[in-house]
Amino acid sequence: MEAQKEAQRIMTMSVWKMYHSRMQRGGLRLHRSLQLSLVMRSARELYLSAKVETDEAELSPFPAAALAPAPNLPQPMTVAEAEDASLQVSEEAIPAPEPMETQEARVNEPAPACSRLPPVPNATLSQHSMKPNRKRRSSSLGQCGEAGLVPSKKARLEEETAPTEGKAEVEAEDLERRQSQAEEGPFPSLARVLQKRFSGILSNTGGPPKPTAPPPSCELQPGCRQADNMINILVRTVVAF
Amino acid sequence: MEEDIDTRKINNSFLRDHSYATEADIISTVEFNHTGELLATGDKGGRVVIFQREQESKNQLHRRGEYNVYSTFQSHEPEFDYLKSLEIEEKINKIRWLPQQNAAYFLLSTNDKTVKLWKVSERDKRPEGYNLKDEDGRIRDPATITTLRVPVLRPMDLMVEATPRRVFANAHTYHINSISVNSDYETYMSADDLRINLWNFEITNQSFNIVDIKPANMEELTEVITAAEFHPLHCNTFVYSSSKGTIRLCDMRASALCDRHTKFFEEPEDPSNRSFFSEIISSISDVKFSHSGRYIMTRDYLTVKVWDLNMENRPIETYQVHDYLRSKLCSLYENDCIFDKFECVWNGSDSVIMTGSYNNFFRMFDRNTKRDVTLEASRENSKPRAILKPRKVCVGGKRRKDEISVDSLDFSKKILHTAWHPSENIIAVAATNNLYIFQDKVN
Repeated sequence: MEAQKEAQRIMTMSVWKMYHSRMQRGGLRLHRSLQLSLVMRSARELYLSAKVETDEAELSPFPAAALAPAPNLPQPMTVAEAEDASLQVSEEAIPAPEPMETQEARVNEPAPACSRLPPVPNATLSQHSMKPNRKRRSSSLGQCGEAGLVPSKKARLEEETAPTEGKAEVEAEDLERRQSQAEEGPFPSLARVLQKRFSGILSNTGGPPKPTAPPPSCELQPGCRQADNMINILVRTVVAF
Repeated sequence: MEEDIDTRKINNSFLRDHSYATEADIISTVEFNHTGELLATGDKGGRVVIFQREQESKNQLHRRGEYNVYSTFQSHEPEFDYLKSLEIEEKINKIRWLPQQNAAYFLLSTNDKTVKLWKVSERDKRPEGYNLKDEDGRIRDPATITTLRVPVLRPMDLMVEATPRRVFANAHTYHINSISVNSDYETYMSADDLRINLWNFEITNQSFNIVDIKPANMEELTEVITAAEFHPLHCNTFVYSSSKGTIRLCDMRASALCDRHTKFFEEPEDPSNRSFFSEIISSISDVKFSHSGRYIMTRDYLTVKVWDLNMENRPIETYQVHDYLRSKLCSLYENDCIFDKFECVWNGSDSVIMTGSYNNFFRMFDRNTKRDVTLEASRENSKPRAILKPRKVCVGGKRRKDEISVDSLDFSKKILHTAWHPSENIIAVAATNNLYIFQDKVN
């Protein structure tokens, strides 16, 4: 529990430092960004492994949707993304302050553990997913105490798909994922998890890989565009870690 | 241990009674030249200040060769990269002297992007007796000129002028962290986070890329170059250190692009020391060849290590600089101190190594006797010409009278840059915006 809180605190701090390093004179420092991302990764591993232990210990039937987005929150400001002196950089930077303010507020609250959160986050998520406004979505971050992780704009689309799946199914998958993540580094596990999760979708489609069984929230938007975005997000999430 | 001579930077002389320090005055590099006669410092404001040792005179025996300001010039100015919308800091990252070949002195200074070759020369004579203009420089009325004379050189007050002779620009995408002059004195290298370039002093519009560790996909980046140096004697050999705590030795005769190292120095990680921040404290912040060329010394956050070039699997000596900080890494991460890049230096005979720490402490390790000492560079604790008292940090339990506890250390006072005279026991220690020069006791 303590380890979890500590890891969360360090993750939040790392993101804050990463954001501020961009504002420094002289531009982004590659070495510093690399070090921050290393710390963030270690903190994330620690957080997830601590969380696995907590979840196993509690065996609680809380809504899994609250837990679902947790491992899928990619770091918006990995070294690679950060170093590309291109539109990407400015894109990532823009949503960062907004979610961070929300996060820090949530962190300061006497927040219970993620698993204890009531279905509010779930509702919040699906509610937000209906809204076409991107900015609003990115501030719905604080769900399930994952305040330390700041997802990127694009990644939010992926998260919204998560809670709409069956809760029990997701919960089982999550535990499995987190266990495997605790054992290995984040890259292979995350890739495998995402593969597993979307393999059903991918096999259904045949042809060009796109998730043709989108959750209800996505039906509101043009199917093709949504799929492309999803694949981009998947690629980015897998590679970014 | 040593006599203390306190030399204040010339720019700060009017701030004598003020306790604040302008950020531009923070010293960012210190370097003796090859004879030790000159000492150059660079600061965050892009200025270079050169000190010269006084000639020893029989009249003033107790003033044994003090260092006085010789020249001050603005080396780099802040620039703006319009393409990337980034400001380029004028902070001088490194200064390296060239060996003296004539009456003038040459040094290389670099900021994040541009290396400059400066010529520092003296002028102590000026021509007098021109025909067409008078002594003030005003043109004389030709009608008043009735005789012809040859101008003669007359002595004048010594004037030291610095002129930029070469500007080596636009060769680095990332931030330059090191420069090193080759022993052939014709070439030098500049290293940034991912690449090392080889330059010829005469050619400014081209450089050879000799190391490139940039991955095809930047998202696969795992390590960066943190420091690089040429071998002091072999012009084909150089080393570079990485953020993963490894050192690679490369031979330029092997191939044009030295991506494959000749030797790879890495110490296996001690599993008992593994912590959350293990990866970042193992990052090497400085690498220095010994004067003999037989050893290299590396500095990471908590230790200094000496490696024998003939043994790659572990260092031959490891010295703990401030191991009491190992349990405080989280707080040091919070206040950004964990990212501080300390430098390390050899003495002239390679028997003693020195590096800085916090609270204006600096440490010296005698490799032969295995003794070490902690000294402090501060005005309050040392009067001019007083002997420096060894300091001790109390790790826990009872604190003795002269000891300082870990929690009382001032982490804003850090000594990152030090230099040792090439042949004598004179050291220069940069403490934020102050430069301290210490000498061996006379008698």
